[in-house]
Amino acid sequence: MTYIPTTARTGPRAGVAAADVTPMDVAARGPLLLLLGSGIVWLVLSGVLGLITSIQLHSPHFLANCSFLTYGRAEAMRETAFVYGWAANAGLALAIWILGRLGGNPLRGLNWLFGGAAAWNTAVFVGVIGIAIGDLTSFSLFQMPRYAQPFMVVAYGAIAIAGILAWMGRRTDGTYAAQWYALAALFLFPWLSTIGQYVLLWAPSRGVVQNVAADWYAQGVWTLWLAPLGLAAAYYVIPKITGKVLANYDAAPLGFWALIFVGAWTGGRHLIGGPVPAWIVTVAVVASVVLLVHYLIVFLNLRSAWGVPSTALGFIRFGVVAYLLGGAIDAVTAFRSVALETQFTLFDVALQQLALYGGLSMMFFGAIYFMVPRLTGTGWASSGLAVAHRFLVTIGVIVLVVTLAVAGWSEGADLLNAQTPFADIVDHAKLPLLIHSGAQFVLLLGNLLLLANFLQTIRTSVVADVIALNPIGTSEVSAT
Amino acid sequence: MKNGPLLFLGLFAALSISWGAIVLGTHAQIGALTPYYDDTEGASFPKRGSGLAAQGEREYIALGCVACHTQQVRRPGFGVDDLRGWGDRQSVARDYIFQFRPQLGSLRLGPDLANFGDRKPNPPDADELYKLLYAGTPAHPSYRFLFDRRRVVGERSLVALNLTNELAPGRGYEVVPSSKAESLVAYLLSLKNGYTYPEAQPAAAPAPEKKAGASSEKAAPAATKAPATEPSPETEKSNPRGKRPEQAVPAAAPDENKKQTK
Amino acid sequence: MSTPSNQDPRLDPAAVTDDALLSQHDKLLGKQPDDGAHYRLMPLAMLFIFAGFIFFGATYLGRFAGHFDPRIYNENVREFGATKAAPVALDPVAIGEKLFNNAACNTCHQATGQGVPGAIPPLAGSEWAQGPEERVIRIVLYGLQGPIKVAGKDFNSAMPAFGKVAGGGFNWSDDKVAHVLTYVRQAWGNKAGPIDVAKVTAIHEKEGDHKPWAPSELEKIK
Repeated sequence: MTYIPTTARTGPRAGVAAADVTPMDVAARGPLLLLLGSGIVWLVLSGVLGLITSIQLHSPHFLANCSFLTYGRAEAMRETAFVYGWAANAGLALAIWILGRLGGNPLRGLNWLFGGAAAWNTAVFVGVIGIAIGDLTSFSLFQMPRYAQPFMVVAYGAIAIAGILAWMGRRTDGTYAAQWYALAALFLFPWLSTIGQYVLLWAPSRGVVQNVAADWYAQGVWTLWLAPLGLAAAYYVIPKITGKVLANYDAAPLGFWALIFVGAWTGGRHLIGGPVPAWIVTVAVVASVVLLVHYLIVFLNLRSAWGVPSTALGFIRFGVVAYLLGGAIDAVTAFRSVALETQFTLFDVALQQLALYGGLSMMFFGAIYFMVPRLTGTGWASSGLAVAHRFLVTIGVIVLVVTLAVAGWSEGADLLNAQTPFADIVDHAKLPLLIHSGAQFVLLLGNLLLLANFLQTIRTSVVADVIALNPIGTSEVSAT
Repeated sequence: MKNGPLLFLGLFAALSISWGAIVLGTHAQIGALTPYYDDTEGASFPKRGSGLAAQGEREYIALGCVACHTQQVRRPGFGVDDLRGWGDRQSVARDYIFQFRPQLGSLRLGPDLANFGDRKPNPPDADELYKLLYAGTPAHPSYRFLFDRRRVVGERSLVALNLTNELAPGRGYEVVPSSKAESLVAYLLSLKNGYTYPEAQPAAAPAPEKKAGASSEKAAPAATKAPATEPSPETEKSNPRGKRPEQAVPAAAPDENKKQTK
Repeated sequence: MSTPSNQDPRLDPAAVTDDALLSQHDKLLGKQPDDGAHYRLMPLAMLFIFAGFIFFGATYLGRFAGHFDPRIYNENVREFGATKAAPVALDPVAIGEKLFNNAACNTCHQATGQGVPGAIPPLAGSEWAQGPEERVIRIVLYGLQGPIKVAGKDFNSAMPAFGKVAGGGFNWSDDKVAHVLTYVRQAWGNKAGPIDVAKVTAIHEKEGDHKPWAPSELEKIK
């Protein structure tokens, strides 16, 4: 399909030429939009599961007798759908696109990309079904059954080929921060996953070594894979929209290497007081503090995002703030005296949601709003849906994190009081958890709107293509 | 950074170093832990559970119980795990060497289960557990799919649950636990941390400034048994939660545990 | 650029091209050919902050990592075993009872201490068991072989050595020997005093490696 760039002032393609659509975008649009679309569908699915689990938190008997949706399995499915469905797909689409754009040449390996995207989503689907029937592994962020995991690595490799080729075939010698982060994510996940699978599933170690490895893996998933994907998106979109060079950019390499080298060490802080030698936890505490260097540099770099009105930047600003806040709170709660209050409570969950939803997803939303018009060649179909999505998701995430944190704090105080029976602990946290369900509903609604907008945009772009290819027959074809 | 291979090497180094130190290092230290042989008892600890309990462990994993329950007891003085009757001593790595996949857990929406078979003050029994799994409580979901409701043929089954009122299955019907429920309950009852290994011994007690109040009948006898252990300058620091009413770390605890495991 | 307002969510126009983005930022890293292609020095503040974090980390690790000892689970402990609780007075009778019944003594002498008539001498009411320390300690440490008269009955069996002696299969430490004797001497109605660990050690050192004693030899010892 050929795409004829226009300088049209009206119709769906108005202004898009000024948005710097490159020939690279045209060719790659099929597989990238497939990845994005799959991601958004997974986001909605995980939203449904999130709503179910949030209701089960305050009403444990909701859907309890259905073995597929018992809380343990539903929560594992939700987490898997969110991380390996939504975050992986969206992040990979963005990473490949950014590498291609900054590489300056058309993407190669697109067939691999297509195949890899299909294989990845199939594997995740099989994994989620596997969890529903009870084959979950019980490791956080690593719940998919053993039979689904190797396919993920292979599929990921297929997808990553396009990105690596884009880096190797780039036009300029020098590279930009977004490229480093994107490339890091492309390499690090398969290594992480392979090691994790071996140590935990295929040749399990003895006893709690598994749990230490699982914590290392889960931490790696966040700091070595997801955070780089989000930062790649942020580092790219912010200067593109603001037109300003990033401040203190000469510190950016240090920020990058600080994340990569220090980030993977912080997993041990989830094992405070646990049956592991004390040094593992102490090392994690130290690493959490040293990691503040990375957060400081990210703040210094990305603060130019403020001051420019823009939808995409609005999301990214929120995401950056949430990311930095998450990092700071992580460092504080790593210390044992604080961890005593927050450990084993929903407060930890709140921090995880702050990072994954408030930080990562919002950065992705912003980058998606920026990227899709350039891929489809048309603007988003509906500004109303976009505004509604932004409003709902922003409110939803804030309420989600705050209610979980409040519930967690109350839980923590109750847990430390030996007199309080467990039934009471749940009771005291009931109100925040009810509001939490409301927040999950709002988020689901917002993401449904995003999905609707996305599908509508694709439809519009297909129609616009048809029009562009048949300029004479325009009057006979209805342009939506 | 224009050097692709250097970037690649850096990424690889970062991952390898962190993996080497954390995973490999831990494996080198505690990856080959063996059971601890006690001369006096003439037995090794931890003891292996029954095969039914091992099946139950898989069932526990398959149900995702780890989403709400932890299986790690924190040391006395760090939290109140001991005062809640979850265990007298901290869980250590040796407690888990025979487990297929230690379910340490990260959320306590429900109580800790590391020592569930020895829970204080009342250890659980099988009937109570079956009832809990079938009916649930206001704070705990029910798991009816672990049970079979079937017609009574001849005599009532010996393992049929005793259900009354609205839970009763109806005339001529009985509710029996499936093999999954049986193995799960066997597993839960087998969770015991009885023996105190050398590495699980508490550090010397600080000067007993505040004995635990009447909050736990466990604490009182332990406190009275412990003679004033010599407080040394080191021990002041061994208790980070000086404000909370804590158990004077029972110097008699190891002995008590030894007695209990007779 | 004549673009739609930045507020239109349907399209966020780009303010720079990718090439410009790349080259402008690359300049800051000093990689452009005209810049000599060397790294710029990190700002001094960043250097200090980083150094501060490293210093904190090192001291924290030194204090709370227990020298990376895998036996230390409590971060406040600096050295394994250094701050263990003061030794507790263990109950020797309880330990002795456990030892007796752990398929060591009770197989022959029976849990009731009655022995097997004609084969194994009883311990309950035995004048040997309640007799002089020097004798009972040697019996348990080195074993007994030869005819013996206990409570008016004759026996002629062999009792293995329980102590850490050559040819012994049990390798009990001296305190175990002491504890089991203490138990036996007060069980089943026996009324004799407890045995000191120090006494066992003294005898063990004095006799060294000795073959199983004959009752006639023991009768010469008081």
